[in-house]
Amino acid sequence: MASPNDIKKGTVINRNGELWMVIDFQRVSPGKGSSFVRTRTKHLQSGKVKEENFKSAENLTFEDVQYKKMQYLFQDGVLYTFMDNQTYEQTSIAASEIEDTIPYLKEGMEVKVVMHEGNALTIEAPQKVQYTVVYTEPAVKGDTASGNVLKEAELDNGLKVKVPAFINQGDEILVNTDTGAYAERVSK
Amino acid sequence: MKDFRKIAEERHAINEGIRAFFQSRTYLEVETPILVESPGMEPNLTPFETHVEEPNGKRHLAGLITSPEYSMKKLLGQGLERIFTLTKVFRNQESLGGIHNPEFTMLEWYQIGKDYHACMDETQALLSHLGFHEEIERYRVRDVFLREAGIDLDDATKETLEKTCKTLGIHCDPTDTESDLFYRLFLEKVEPTFQGKNLFLYDYPRHQASLSDLTPDGRYGQRFELYINGVELCNGFTELTNAVEQRSRFMEEAHERETLGKPVYPIDEELLRLLPSIHKPTFGNALGVDRLHMVLKGYSQIQDVLLFPANNLFTHQ
Repeated sequence: MASPNDIKKGTVINRNGELWMVIDFQRVSPGKGSSFVRTRTKHLQSGKVKEENFKSAENLTFEDVQYKKMQYLFQDGVLYTFMDNQTYEQTSIAASEIEDTIPYLKEGMEVKVVMHEGNALTIEAPQKVQYTVVYTEPAVKGDTASGNVLKEAELDNGLKVKVPAFINQGDEILVNTDTGAYAERVSK
Repeated sequence: MKDFRKIAEERHAINEGIRAFFQSRTYLEVETPILVESPGMEPNLTPFETHVEEPNGKRHLAGLITSPEYSMKKLLGQGLERIFTLTKVFRNQESLGGIHNPEFTMLEWYQIGKDYHACMDETQALLSHLGFHEEIERYRVRDVFLREAGIDLDDATKETLEKTCKTLGIHCDPTDTESDLFYRLFLEKVEPTFQGKNLFLYDYPRHQASLSDLTPDGRYGQRFELYINGVELCNGFTELTNAVEQRSRFMEEAHERETLGKPVYPIDEELLRLLPSIHKPTFGNALGVDRLHMVLKGYSQIQDVLLFPANNLFTHQ
């Protein structure tokens, strides 16, 4: 038995035999009384998303999942293939299971594959991923003064993000995969 | 990308605005301790704990305040009539980011001689002074529950609350109390309707009364919360000044903490001793300044208005 207080992103809850993975959660405390955990969970088979609130004192059943470090190899139709760098074992996962992460994938990138009873359920990208800017307009003179002017940039895996004016083509940048936002420039 | 200068200047102006507002209304700014022996009894809050050590090795259990409330009330009991404080408060086991940060800035103010309706008026005047001029509606908790969940809190019991949850398809647990069931309905049916709205919600059921005095019919606590665009900004009361009732609520909370396996702090006897000297009515309000900054300047996350948000300070597992 587990407490809703131990819920994290990626926790898999067994609800009457069905597996729901937590994709988002938030603790909420009323001015008085028990605290609650608001969750958004995804049904692991159907992909259906539901919102549910659990009281801290409730008992839940979590399923053990393992996180396996694997490298992204290639996409073939709706299947994305990953490889374990130690055993060279390969696993393919359907696009529908990893929809949120697909825009951030780039060849050779290391991800965490969520495994349950030998099956790959989904993947988690690192919180920050490094990309090369392959295209962005040069900064217009005068724009940099205020420091918060953003412009569009295309990255080496096709992802488009807003970046500050001082970013140039060829720069390496970190992108936050939770929010899709530019995080920082990697100094050369 | 974060514009540190802009955030710092905005916060500077908000703090100055708060001080100017209260000084113009002859409030006295006071400083209250952050490190105390009894940091807060609310069952759902988890204070940061530490020890105070004297040079001779004597150790005292201590914690960081979750609110300056106890100290503020002691000052009222000492005869101060209109006081405000801007202080840091601390709550453990809260999200790092979103609308929570384990350390945040609280504005609390108290006035002797006025009740929570006057406090709502003054809160609205403060927001207007700081540049927020949108309309703020006022609803009784009973009216929104009737409208959104179809239940009349005037005669609701644990059984009718549970039945309403089940009818509406809301997950319940066998251990749910009346207060838990109320909050489940609130989270699922009521609070989501506040998105994009500005409103004061007032007269909370007795089990949610917290440190507030009761309404004349004894059914509700004279407590209010303010929501601006769905974000809860403050929590105000006509303060409970009855030490006997306060002691029994503290005992209940201590018992709840024990049941939850949380540390139980000693009852603040000095507070109970001073409480009866506070004239009735007295209002008090606690307002989160970081959330106020978000609301006034249109930010969606607390980390956007903090120069040093906790999600950047604590990154190692």
